[in-house]
Amino acid sequence: MSIEIDSKEVDVRKIMAGIRDRIAEKKRGLYTDEEIREIAERRLDAVLESGHFNPDFLKEFKTKSDVWNYRFDAETIYRTSRGGAASLLGKLRSVLKPIQKLFWNPTPMIAALSRQSDLNQYTAQMLHNLTLELTRLNLEVQELRARLKQTDAALDELRKRERALESLAVLKDDSRPSA
Amino acid sequence: MTERPRLAFVVQRYGLEIAGGAEYHCRLIAELLRDHADVCVFTTCALDYVEWKNHYPEGDTVLNGVPVKRFKVERTRDILEFAAASARVDRPGPTPEDEEQWMDAQGPVSPALRDHVIAEAGAGTYDAIIYFSYRYWTTCRSLVPSRTPAILAPTAEDDGLYRLALFRRLFDAVTQFAFNSVEERAMLEGAMGRALPGEIVGVGSDLPKTTDGAGFRARFGIEGPFLLYVGRIDLNKGCPELLDFFLRYKAETGSNLGLVLIGRAVLEIPRDPSVHALGFLEDAEKWNALEACTALAIPSRLESLSMVTLEAFYAQRPVVANAHCAVLRGQCRRSGGGLYYTDYDEFREILTLLEGDAALRARMGRGGHAYFQENYAWPVILEKYLRLIGAARKVAA
Repeated sequence: MSIEIDSKEVDVRKIMAGIRDRIAEKKRGLYTDEEIREIAERRLDAVLESGHFNPDFLKEFKTKSDVWNYRFDAETIYRTSRGGAASLLGKLRSVLKPIQKLFWNPTPMIAALSRQSDLNQYTAQMLHNLTLELTRLNLEVQELRARLKQTDAALDELRKRERALESLAVLKDDSRPSA
Repeated sequence: MTERPRLAFVVQRYGLEIAGGAEYHCRLIAELLRDHADVCVFTTCALDYVEWKNHYPEGDTVLNGVPVKRFKVERTRDILEFAAASARVDRPGPTPEDEEQWMDAQGPVSPALRDHVIAEAGAGTYDAIIYFSYRYWTTCRSLVPSRTPAILAPTAEDDGLYRLALFRRLFDAVTQFAFNSVEERAMLEGAMGRALPGEIVGVGSDLPKTTDGAGFRARFGIEGPFLLYVGRIDLNKGCPELLDFFLRYKAETGSNLGLVLIGRAVLEIPRDPSVHALGFLEDAEKWNALEACTALAIPSRLESLSMVTLEAFYAQRPVVANAHCAVLRGQCRRSGGGLYYTDYDEFREILTLLEGDAALRARMGRGGHAYFQENYAWPVILEKYLRLIGAARKVAA
């Protein structure tokens, strides 16, 4: 009988299965990793663009990552970027290195800056992960708040129903003629 | 057997003012069969469905060409008594006395109607008597084994009442059932533990000649896409959940979707610029609203058929239905004209999908329309009823 056959125009079961898959995917982490990254980036932008920061900081932070994301090793202070003369200048500095060390000891400074460059990268990585995690937690809190609100509303309805039934019972008792 | 069958209808209320439910269903079928049979209606004088107060004058009248005989309701419904009786039959293992008291508390109690119907059935005045709604006193007390075949349109909802022993006896006396849906039939057959005679019929609708969606928007100042609800705005119809889900959807997604509510409100509607409660409107405006809307919401968990769902199918608008109602779920699947939600997450995803995919909405609209024409167009309904009447007369012979 035609009435018992599912529609050929639209496969409702398939659409519903797709909808439930999407919800399950979101519930696994509430949001997909891609969505969290997207939301986290938006939030970071909002914080960094606020009045507490240098307005150019974000731009520089993103476009000139070498400002903070640098490497510093024992040879960094002797390197040069001056084209063809660079090799000669580098060799001269190497030769003069023992003489220079008579005046000051660069080793602690090299060690400190090297540690600092590592720390910068760890900090950036940690900040990134923390932002992601904070975003995830914020979304979870929002979701839980919404569910709590829904549960509260349902509970209220149940209480109202309970009170209505109780009042019915009381009224019923009152309506009985006294013996 | 005469060429033109003689039919009587028995229904708890009957009148032009009743624009929904089993009573409206009964009127549409009586008016449909008017041209193919000698029909008459036996009903009460009640208009109000809460207390069954007598409203119409007792006696004979004619409504839209259908003779109607009204009988007085002997006593109004005592809501407190009914609540207490309902609580007793709601518990496991109600006694036969509990069930009988519940039926008397339910009403509308009209012994004159009962006696008249039983006498006519015994005399064989009619080729068949068609009863509407199994749950009311008028059907339960009048439908008894007799020489006249009994056709019952149970209009049963999944509320468990049909499992009462009282109704097993009633269903045993029925010659043919006019079910509203596959799910209703399965539900009643499951309760009875046997196949029931009859077929899935349902009902058509008063279809408009033209509709004016733009005019509707202009008259009520509604802009942008909107979700439509049509019916009584009531707790039992799932409206608080619909309002809650809708406002949450708006807050979370920033959608510009509106919610238009058509029907009498018996609960407080939240004040929000996106919610438009228009009150009770004429049938023509309902069709205009259906044309203008993005989708129709049916949040009710208990539906025997949902005529407005079928009307949305006809109007080629997708339906967003409550999945807890097996009938609505089935109608959506069979037609391809609707999606269904069990919770907020599904509600949100369904609205997001429908709002963003006009092509899907159009395909669903086509699916729903084709389903309506195939199963609920008047010629189809008429053919089914004539077949049912023929089968009932054959069984009686």
